Amino acid sequence: MPKITVDGASYEVAEGRTILQALDDQGVLMNGVDIPHYCWHPKLSIDGSCRLCQVEIEGIPKLQIACNTPVRDGMVIHTRNERVEKAREGVMELLLINHPLDCPICDKAGECKLQDYAFEYGVPHARTREPRRAGKKRVDLGPTIVFDQERCILCRRCVRFCREVPGTGELSVFSRGDQSVIETFPGEPLDNDYSMNVADICPVGALTTKDFRFKIRVWFLEDVPGICTGCAKGCNVHLGVANNRVYRYVPRRNDAVNGTWICDEGRLSYARIGADDRIAGHEVRQPDGRALPVSIDVALEEAAERLRGVIDRKGAGAVGILASPHATNEDLFVARRLLEALGSSQAGVAVRTGRSDALLIQPEKAANAEGCRRLGFGPAEALLERARGGAVAALLVLGHDALATQGPELLETLRGLDVVLLADSHRSELERVAQVVFATRVVAEKHGTLTNHAGRVQRVVPAVEPSFDAHAEGEIMWRLGRALGLPGFDGAWDLQAVSKALAETVPAFAGIDLASVPPDGVPRADR
Amino acid sequence: MQKAPFITSYLTEHTADDAFATLAGYRAHGGYEAARRALTQMSPEQVVELLKDAGLQGRGGAGFSTGMKWSFMPKDSDKPKYLVCNADESEPGSFKDRLLLERAPHQMLEGILIGAFATGADKTFVYVRGEYAHPANVLQRALDECYAAGIFGANCLGTDLRHDVVVTRGAGAYICGEETGLLESLEGKKGQPRKKPPFPAQFGAFGMPTTVNNVETFSHVPHVVAKGADWFRGFGTEKSPGTTIFGVSGHVKRPGLYELPLGTRLDEIVFEHAGGPPDGRKVKGVIPGGMSMPILPASQLDVPMANEFLRERKTMLGTGGVMVMHDATCMVRVGCIITYFFRDESCGQCTQCREGTGWLHKIMQRIERGAGSPADLDLLLDVASKMEGQTICAFADAAAWPVQGLLRHFREDFEEHVKQGKCPFPESFEL
Repeated sequence: MPKITVDGASYEVAEGRTILQALDDQGVLMNGVDIPHYCWHPKLSIDGSCRLCQVEIEGIPKLQIACNTPVRDGMVIHTRNERVEKAREGVMELLLINHPLDCPICDKAGECKLQDYAFEYGVPHARTREPRRAGKKRVDLGPTIVFDQERCILCRRCVRFCREVPGTGELSVFSRGDQSVIETFPGEPLDNDYSMNVADICPVGALTTKDFRFKIRVWFLEDVPGICTGCAKGCNVHLGVANNRVYRYVPRRNDAVNGTWICDEGRLSYARIGADDRIAGHEVRQPDGRALPVSIDVALEEAAERLRGVIDRKGAGAVGILASPHATNEDLFVARRLLEALGSSQAGVAVRTGRSDALLIQPEKAANAEGCRRLGFGPAEALLERARGGAVAALLVLGHDALATQGPELLETLRGLDVVLLADSHRSELERVAQVVFATRVVAEKHGTLTNHAGRVQRVVPAVEPSFDAHAEGEIMWRLGRALGLPGFDGAWDLQAVSKALAETVPAFAGIDLASVPPDGVPRADR
Repeated sequence: MQKAPFITSYLTEHTADDAFATLAGYRAHGGYEAARRALTQMSPEQVVELLKDAGLQGRGGAGFSTGMKWSFMPKDSDKPKYLVCNADESEPGSFKDRLLLERAPHQMLEGILIGAFATGADKTFVYVRGEYAHPANVLQRALDECYAAGIFGANCLGTDLRHDVVVTRGAGAYICGEETGLLESLEGKKGQPRKKPPFPAQFGAFGMPTTVNNVETFSHVPHVVAKGADWFRGFGTEKSPGTTIFGVSGHVKRPGLYELPLGTRLDEIVFEHAGGPPDGRKVKGVIPGGMSMPILPASQLDVPMANEFLRERKTMLGTGGVMVMHDATCMVRVGCIITYFFRDESCGQCTQCREGTGWLHKIMQRIERGAGSPADLDLLLDVASKMEGQTICAFADAAAWPVQGLLRHFREDFEEHVKQGKCPFPESFEL
């Protein structure tokens, strides 16, 4: 392993890497070793054109670009001396001579690398007297992205992204010299499943998403680490939160899951969190079909009462749970314990499936389908078949994914049962057949873990608080178990304790409790 | 087009003869005998050593040792290897390769054949400047003759060497004369130089090991092989052996091509051979090696035209394009023209080049208009210094050096513009 010295500090790095790659591998790039860069991106091919990452290497007369210079054993690199600083100043000045300097009205302001580096490495005054280069504003590149030619610094990250990641290649640099512009080909808009990533990797305000632009100033946003729940991939994201509202998802780098990308559909799924169709309170259905808003205690009392009736008439084994692949492992563990306490084996889960690709998009459209399987929830079909055959008389339904997989037939099946309890976050047809409806929290509103398609267990924390009374499925089931007086369901709801029990009793989760899951998750290949 | 230089030597001895462009005419002067000798009596290593001994340097501008360059080609590669002949001749002031293509195509092709043998290359791409339609046609005709005569193809000159030559045409961008910009263009991509590493000898045309040589460089090779290193070293200086073809243009009585030994003094070329400026004018400055090379003032024309001497005067031989300017020339206007050219031709990849070339041009124009300030002179130098030596290819250097040269030797022209608030020179034309 070659050993390199950067500003006096030594690093053992992998063979065949360039200086920037090696420092990125070490986790110190822009995090202890500051080598500013624009065109280089850890997940794209090396371009070597912005020339900002020039460093001095002992024994080489000219400054070298750190992004493309392979490491050699014994290499001594300087990133902070006067020569390097002068070169950076030169690049920053030249990048700014034609930049519109419209930061006050630019949506990237606050998270703009041109702003940041100009402040950090640039010169504080302009020496240009001629008018700046004029370019097209608000260019509609496609359904998701708007482009500002004047702000573009031609780092070509977006061009390489489209060619190398989705492989669609919509963007190209047209013309040359200082007339160079990023454009699409006539009649071929920027339109692919990952298009909005170009706004994230654009270091300036040239590419912005139609969805997020002008919604809020980014400095008002708090970045809360979380997981995209659009499919089983479990892409790591930052939820941009302000005023108890999620304004966007942006990818959070996790090289073991999503690298630095997320798909557009997943990115836009944040809108489900604060959607108008959230179930905004607990309800009990009147005999005439009207929904009566009630407190959680009344809803639990009503649900327990109805379940007791079924247990008395048909035995506890006739109570089943149709689980949700959107629930956390902890929620599902409580569901499993509830069934165990009842002595019932009536369990299943419905997972909606859809389009997938070789990059990130998984066929299962839920964040914790794998967690369900690992906690013993089999296909919903078998459970519903037994329900139709009379073996299930009461069903606690978590979420409404089964509607998508079973179709309207599900409603018929549920109507044939004595008791249907629903715990869900968004409105659906299922409310019409349920006697009690519990408002649940979505993933962005709770603590817990999710297991992605590959078995990686990842942590979520609340980013926002619902404006109405809603609870995690696990808590609802815990309190239901307590209301039924089931063994093991005593005391207050304690997620930490549940998590601990999960880690101690289910082999697939051995050693994984909430407190121990690192930010990038824990791989668990075995089922 | 000139059929032969005003002064000829071995490269251009027969170019006045129309028949020399044909295979029969070339063979009448011993054509392809050098290649036959190399292919049948020498080993590839011997050819490379011979070129190293002869000290042949590339004639495309950088002046790198040809034998050395050929030795960089990997010997044990299982990939196909390519030669590329750079016939993009795009440096303003340079027009020597055109003569060699039009009047002596077989001489260059023989050099390519020897190069193919020495480097083990499978194929040669001759990349001809887009505007050179006639030279490309002449070359293609010569190549067709070679294939008909078994000089190229499956059994070159009857040996078991297989080598194919393909003539391709550029589309008219200066940057496609830069070797890796050329390779990109050759592959059908936008002409933009590649970052290094990897170097062409490892990852060149279509990702294969590749060596790029200029038209004139290849044209010297048969002579070196036929007559030996000592003979070759009989021309030129110790460090820069051989002749080269100087293209003299601008304010001289006899503009045109002159094949002269390297080391010939610049004043001899300008005054004795090209006749000096017309109308009794005096020389003000001379660009010695194509537009990207820094200018020399009249007082420094006593320099021998070889890199070891030119470097002392902070300029270089480049492509040997000698551009002469008389004493009524406005050097700020020259700066405007040069910076405009480089602004227009920058490929636009690297920040310093894309933005710097445009800025230099704007400042030059500002001074020429009479709107410049005294600080603009140093601003020009400062911008040039920020471009120099910091980019993927030497284009930014090529754009910065002439500006530095003009200010080094003709600062008073710039100061006069600023002082008078207008161009003090009579001639005016739209810039």
